[in-house]
Amino acid sequence: MKKRSLLGNFALYGTVTAVCVVLLFPIYWMFLTALSPRTQLRSYPPNFWPRDPQWNVFSDLLAAQPFGLWMWNTIMVATATMILSLTIGVLAAYALSRHRLRGGQPLGLFILTSKMLPATLLVIPLFAIFKSLGLVGSLWSVVIAQATLIVPFATWMLKGYFDTIPAELEQAALVDGCSPLGALFRIVLPVASPGLAATALYAFVISWSDFLYARTFLATSESKWTLNVGIATLKGEFVTDWNTIMAASLMAAVPIIGVYLFLERYLVGGLSAGAEK
Amino acid sequence: MATIDFKNVQKRYGQFKAIHDFNLHVGEGELCVFVGPSGCGKSTILKMLAGLEETTSGSIEIGGRDVTDLGPGKRDIAMVFQNYALYPHMSVRSNIGFGLKMRGVPKADIDKAVNEAAEILELTDYLDRRPRALSGGQRQRVALGRAIVREPSAFLMDEPLSNLDAKLRTQTRSEIVKLQKRLGVTTIYVTHDQVEALTMATRIVVMRGGVIQQVGSPDELFSQPANLFVAGFIGSPGMNFFRGPVEIENGKAFTRFGEQRIPLGQVPQKLTAKEAIFGIRPEHLQVGETGVPVTLSLVESLGTEKILHFATPKGQETDAIETEIVSDEDARDKKTMLARVIDDRRYHDGETIRIALPEGKVHIFDTVTHEAIV
Repeated sequence: MKKRSLLGNFALYGTVTAVCVVLLFPIYWMFLTALSPRTQLRSYPPNFWPRDPQWNVFSDLLAAQPFGLWMWNTIMVATATMILSLTIGVLAAYALSRHRLRGGQPLGLFILTSKMLPATLLVIPLFAIFKSLGLVGSLWSVVIAQATLIVPFATWMLKGYFDTIPAELEQAALVDGCSPLGALFRIVLPVASPGLAATALYAFVISWSDFLYARTFLATSESKWTLNVGIATLKGEFVTDWNTIMAASLMAAVPIIGVYLFLERYLVGGLSAGAEK
Repeated sequence: MATIDFKNVQKRYGQFKAIHDFNLHVGEGELCVFVGPSGCGKSTILKMLAGLEETTSGSIEIGGRDVTDLGPGKRDIAMVFQNYALYPHMSVRSNIGFGLKMRGVPKADIDKAVNEAAEILELTDYLDRRPRALSGGQRQRVALGRAIVREPSAFLMDEPLSNLDAKLRTQTRSEIVKLQKRLGVTTIYVTHDQVEALTMATRIVVMRGGVIQQVGSPDELFSQPANLFVAGFIGSPGMNFFRGPVEIENGKAFTRFGEQRIPLGQVPQKLTAKEAIFGIRPEHLQVGETGVPVTLSLVESLGTEKILHFATPKGQETDAIETEIVSDEDARDKKTMLARVIDDRRYHDGETIRIALPEGKVHIFDTVTHEAIV
């Protein structure tokens, strides 16, 4: 590899630092807001570290609100959405990638149309459908609604990844005695693990950050609230307790970071190098 | 070990007919090479034999058993792919043992078989590596290991050497032949490289446009090509062609090459036309004191071996339709003929030498059907 010049190094690290500062500043500000006493929230010039950090904001939140329940509901929804979207996405993407289907091309594009509509537009028909199915107020309504948004994109992401895997790998598996589904699960999916991990992360994050569907379908059943719905109720009509909201938001972000750290090793591409030549 | 039979096998993709009425019997333990330019259908036939492509009509038998409608896993064959198709997420050991695992062979037996195969292929030290940590040649051997470990009734090899560099290719070529002889497994080997075909095969099937052109031993294809295509495809450099008149005198046939009359020996039975296409291999042309004077346009020297280029006599060039049929591997100016000589004489561009066409070495082809006239 060519050695970088001093100036090149400087530019590289400078850019990385600048990007990190821009990306991490809101999180830092959330943290700062959570810890600051209420009286210092709007002080000018701003304090970049509270004089008297309120560490009890986290324990107060856990005592006052059913935060654990919201977290549990959100984990259930995000996990179920991820599994459902990935299952449908994998099978659809594999079919589109490998089989010359009659009308496969337009069908593949058609899958994307629902992605092109704004989610807000789909809320009303979905609500009507879930009402007639008796699903309103159930976590399944949110799972299914989110999957309708995630599946199209997941399908295309995975199709793109499957397209890069040489068909000979599956043919070799078939000759070795695998069934077509066996070849998919034993060979294609392990080889596609970076693509699967990226898609899973995408599905999980989209589901985790959903507010619209959860708020619409779960509003009346308090025991089914997800984090975002729950946190939104912390905002009062006259008084808003910003430090509690920020503390809750920070805690809500922790599982996402965990999921990312877990999937990160699969995200690293290049696993399929060595299959050929 | 098994025989392989193709009976009236056809393959269509929509309106396009990729394979026309393919009939072939491959004997037990034979190493049969399918050779032809790209798009000739040789890989399609192999994939149909493997069960990776459906046959449109006809039947395929392996060891007398009709396998036409069986899946690839049920045909008891092993295949080596052009890009090796090693499973990148598995170690060499798992790659080689995968087929046995899929067949429910007990783990101890798999280990034993894998170790044996690894020993034959000198892969013992690499068993725990991933394919990406291997060189091209080693990957190729893993692909072979995956095939031999299963002791199948047939090996199918789809251009297994084309990703190796020239030196390794020559070396692996002879290793595959030795391995095949040692195991005695019926093998179908697909290549576009006629040198591979000539050096490896017990029998060669030359294909073009989904049709078998000729089936025979390497010697037969070289000395008695059935048509212009086979004559041009087999041999390197390919055969020289020229157009010429047919003259018959006292039961003997003659043609003309430039100003000279060339004796062709006894009149072949089928020779009735007034004109024909004649072919002679570059190595059969003789440089000497007698013969047709030609001017060298290029001399390629490979040490003692030289390839001499000179122009086909005026009016005797083969035309565009015929040039198409000559191997795309060896595309060359059809107005040029080549002579291959091995001697210590120095030749240089622009020199005039005399070229003789020995009787019995000139092949005669029909100008319309391009079939050999014998």
